[in-house]
Amino acid sequence: MNGVSILWESRELFLQGALDTLTLVLGCLVLSLPLSILGAVLMNESGPSLKRALRELFDFLRCVPFLLLAYVIYYGLPELGVRLPPWWAGLVSLTLYNAAYLVEIFRAAFNGIDRDNIEAAQAFGFSRLQTYRRVILPQAVITAAPLIGNQTITAMRDSAFLMIITVQELTFTANFVSANHFSPFAPFAMAVGLYWLMSVSIEWVVGRMGIIRRSRYG
Amino acid sequence: MADPIPAISVKRLCKEFDGHEVLRDIDLDIPAGTTTCILGPSGSGKSTFLRCLNWLEIPSSGAVFLDGRRVGGETNAAGKVTVNRRELAETRAKIGMVFQHFALWRHLTVLQNVTEAPIQVLKRPRQDVETQAMAILEQVGLADKAHVYPHALSGGQKQRVAISRALAMKPKVILFDEPTSALDPEMVGEVLAVMRSLAKGGMTQVIVTHEMAFARDVSDTVVFMDGGQIREVAPAKEFFAAPKTERARRFLS
Amino acid sequence: MTAWLSAIGIALSLPLGLLLAIIRWRRVAVLDGVLAGFVSLIRATPFVTLVLFIFFVLPSLGIELKPIPAAIVALTINTMAFSSEIWRSALDSFPRDQREAAEACGMSEFQALRRVIFPQIWRSSLGPLVSEATILLKCTPAIAVIGVVEITRAASRIGAETYEPLPPFLLATVLYTALIAVLVRGQRYVERRVANRYGYVAP
Repeated sequence: MNGVSILWESRELFLQGALDTLTLVLGCLVLSLPLSILGAVLMNESGPSLKRALRELFDFLRCVPFLLLAYVIYYGLPELGVRLPPWWAGLVSLTLYNAAYLVEIFRAAFNGIDRDNIEAAQAFGFSRLQTYRRVILPQAVITAAPLIGNQTITAMRDSAFLMIITVQELTFTANFVSANHFSPFAPFAMAVGLYWLMSVSIEWVVGRMGIIRRSRYG
Repeated sequence: MADPIPAISVKRLCKEFDGHEVLRDIDLDIPAGTTTCILGPSGSGKSTFLRCLNWLEIPSSGAVFLDGRRVGGETNAAGKVTVNRRELAETRAKIGMVFQHFALWRHLTVLQNVTEAPIQVLKRPRQDVETQAMAILEQVGLADKAHVYPHALSGGQKQRVAISRALAMKPKVILFDEPTSALDPEMVGEVLAVMRSLAKGGMTQVIVTHEMAFARDVSDTVVFMDGGQIREVAPAKEFFAAPKTERARRFLS
Repeated sequence: MTAWLSAIGIALSLPLGLLLAIIRWRRVAVLDGVLAGFVSLIRATPFVTLVLFIFFVLPSLGIELKPIPAAIVALTINTMAFSSEIWRSALDSFPRDQREAAEACGMSEFQALRRVIFPQIWRSSLGPLVSEATILLKCTPAIAVIGVVEITRAASRIGAETYEPLPPFLLATVLYTALIAVLVRGQRYVERRVANRYGYVAP
């Protein structure tokens, strides 16, 4: 049986696997963006002891190998009485892990905003919340966009680890198909191709945003 | 005589940075409808003083009143300052401010820069604010730039937008922190012209500046500061014709 | 074990990455395009996928690999691609006049590369390279996959029934985290040292 026919026969599996990876990455982005913004704002606004605690937490999360984090969450949550299917456990761990990196990206972006842009907001009577919502965040998102894009690609690569806790994403599918047909090349090449397509798409979006940004903000 | 309640009244204002005294015992009344220029050598504390008026710098002690209402919070006997953030924001909304480096919000267009605070802070209807903003931009000669982002403007244009942004709040007072210091010489005129017409229109303005000719021709009162203190307060004509203090004489020569 | 694998991976991939970077920097015809595609592909491919690919596909091409060498090959290819980008950006931002000065002294291109360019770029690339190494270290648990993959489903079932899977994983997590934390601290220290001695600012 040649490679092409294997792929054709398992096209639905691949579609499902790619969709799983895609929804994992998008879900992770949707959840971790607000989470990390909240984390960055908390770190900016909180007193020294809470700030220190948060920094330790995020530093710790950034040092844990993702695979092990996923394991611990997948096997650890049931111990705490929370039973999650693999996909959800995967999403939780991917979100936490990704958010720890995004916090750092947002903090750097906050610090990069012109001091007098923020002072102007204060001088015009903006509340703290309004200043974040209307002045700091819109600018931070614009400057951080390329880094958020890179981080999203990293999250996509990390999502493949989740096959080990039996999330049926793209790599899981490739492995499954290759085991069933005793023919590894085509399924894995297909998986690599699909990953590449996703990452190129993300880079394309970021590139477009960069062009718009430069035309507007110089 | 003038309005019995001054637009801005400053009582025994002091400001320290790390034990270093920057402003000492400042008392000053600024009548409504007048233009006041604050002059002085660099490092004399004039910018800090201006920033204390809307509490961008929190004074170490003393008080500022806007139309007889206290700005910011209370300073207790121990020198501890308590700020009521909401009240402070409400008061600040009545005090316009123009910064040396424009401080335009770079993610917003010119029009959005002007309408942002009236819509967000004063909660006025967008339609009204936009009509008013366009009228102001028309006045300062920038109506055709309404939908441009700030980075595409020259320094002089940016500063005129910043003034428009302050005007859109219909403030009681506008504070200017060296509004022309960051401009190329050929652009200073267009900004001063706007301020001159505001003065004619009866806007209360407090201006920290190095533009001597402007201070002499446009301002009603000159406040001369040196070493963190007010050394002289005089009508502009008198100050430039015959300064009373030795320091002011040296500064003018 | 982890440390060994990582060390070998780093030792192999840094020079190889530099070689790739130099080839692309010199714009060698055809090869440049091929390598650009290769790097872009590897940078998009998850490490687990790469490990499985190498472990399963190479044998079908007639190259038998035991799990450990397969792991080393995967680590090396992965890190080589990432480090070549770091080297390349360092080469691209290398001041032109320095290179011209070397040429003016009559150095051959190889001499210039070895005596002038390399001693400077390794310092400016150190920070990103060390953080790449921590990422590599974080990837090593994935190697377990090639040993485990056939029994993954079984393991999760057993884990649910009798065997207690959490404690060993917790222990492993603590060990790894400690190892990486040390490396991160070390990276910050080295960056400061380099910045102080040579006036380079970590990018």
